[in-house]
Amino acid sequence: MRESPNGARVHARVREFMSSKIFQGFASLVLILALWWAVTAAGLVNPLYLPSPAQVAGAFVEANNCHAISSGSSRIVCGEQQYFMWQHLLMSLERIGVGLAFAIIVGVLGGFGLAYAPWARRIFLPYINFIRALPPLGYIGLLIVWFGIGDTTKIWLLFLAAFPTIVLATIEGVDAVARDRVNSAYALGASKGQAFVHVVFPSSLPSIMNGIRLGVGFAWTTVVAAELNNGIPGIGALAYLSGTELNTPLTIACILVIGVAALLLDGLIVLITKLVTPWVGKE
Amino acid sequence: MVESMVVDKGQKLTWSEMTDKAQMEREGIAVDIQGVTKRFTTQQGDEVTALREVNLKIREHDFICVVGRSGCGKTTLLNMLAGFERPTEGRIIAAGVPVTKPSPRRGVVFQKPPLYPWLTVRKNVEFGMRMQGVPAKERNARAAHFLEVVGLADAGERHPYELSGGMQQRAQIARVLATDPDVILMDEPYGALDALTRERLQNELLRIWQEKRKTVFFITHSVEEALFLATRVIVMTAHPGTVKMDIPVDIPRDPTDPDNPRKVRENPRFQQLRDEITRAIYENSGDEERR
Repeated sequence: MRESPNGARVHARVREFMSSKIFQGFASLVLILALWWAVTAAGLVNPLYLPSPAQVAGAFVEANNCHAISSGSSRIVCGEQQYFMWQHLLMSLERIGVGLAFAIIVGVLGGFGLAYAPWARRIFLPYINFIRALPPLGYIGLLIVWFGIGDTTKIWLLFLAAFPTIVLATIEGVDAVARDRVNSAYALGASKGQAFVHVVFPSSLPSIMNGIRLGVGFAWTTVVAAELNNGIPGIGALAYLSGTELNTPLTIACILVIGVAALLLDGLIVLITKLVTPWVGKE
Repeated sequence: MVESMVVDKGQKLTWSEMTDKAQMEREGIAVDIQGVTKRFTTQQGDEVTALREVNLKIREHDFICVVGRSGCGKTTLLNMLAGFERPTEGRIIAAGVPVTKPSPRRGVVFQKPPLYPWLTVRKNVEFGMRMQGVPAKERNARAAHFLEVVGLADAGERHPYELSGGMQQRAQIARVLATDPDVILMDEPYGALDALTRERLQNELLRIWQEKRKTVFFITHSVEEALFLATRVIVMTAHPGTVKMDIPVDIPRDPTDPDNPRKVRENPRFQQLRDEITRAIYENSGDEERR
């Protein structure tokens, strides 16, 4: 049977959809879930090691609702570790937010300072690189001794995770400003201060935004370490604790929540970057 | 014109500088390059003389073209005229005042237009006026005028990256003109453009130069471009950079005539000067770069 022109058009549409980014991303997600489900449904792995998608979904729902402590019991518990999962997440987001805010302020100001003062750069840059190379778990004990087990330590840790990258990115951004751009500002009558505000700062903004983006990534990778001690409520602490209690479905649910939250935050930063530096990639 | 734009703030002159300034003004000299030598130290620690003992008086409304091969120090000379660099020896006097730092009295046109991509073309043109505190209304009017002068009246609300290379260069020229400099320093501004665009922009520059009566110091490696534009061609040679030749150009030009480029090029004087200058550039340098 010959295909009608209409059929051909539908065909083309389908092919176009199949090659679209959204479809491909969605398809890969479905494929992974199916594979995961197949492996667990076939009983290939002990559910303790790898619970099924349904168990993880159940753990996620339970962690966000009140439920009987066991079937038939009249004792009701709400969420996990006395908090709903979204409260855990919110608390972690708050810590990351505060730590990052300090990291951005100190990182950008410090970066500009070091970029403009070569002597200060020679003095401080090695230590900033030193901190950047340290694994947070290595020095969290020290921070606890200094600042106690409260939120101060956690915020310090997140700050230390994010700020070196932002400093370096700011310095790099300033270093990369084309000499001609600044010189032309001077030749147009700009003072040093004006050249900084109107030329150097916007020129280095793409690099700074990139540094912030990387810094946020490091903050997320540090959040579990930050919440190891006295971290409840906190999504990182919940992930860790549930693991020690062999509640693997909840651990995986936490991991997924952390991952998705991180992706969303990253997407937000990418969006902001596009809004504040619309010229990037077009020159 | 706004008075404050043409005054360098905070520069005090000595008595002899004052009398020099008065004399320069009487003689109509815009820029006086006095025995300028520039030495660099390379990263290997060798000392290189980029320029040696350059003396040059640039008269007001001169259109000077500097030709020479790469490495002859012409860009170094321009950077010192602009105030981006300081001479190792000698000094440069512009409008009677020693050049120690960049000033809007000496506008600079770079080969790659350093337009600011976060600003629209119009705001780029307004940039210098904004830095100098010109009120928004006047800024607007002047920007519109200079965009018109360079033929970009309709491109003001676009961003630099939306323009072609030739249009970007026009925008840069408008931005420099808008601060009303006495001297315009141009560093191979048309070097990266295609031949057709270059010819059109050259003609346009001649027209603007005639209209606005500016002093122009224009670097190029093209002898033909120099002869097409200049009232005076300076030939420089390298190792170390020195002025080898200083030739007045007496070819009649009329930038309003669309056939002007061809007429200039076919002028026998043009061809004679071209051969003479080309010989001067390549003489005694006998090496592989000869074309």
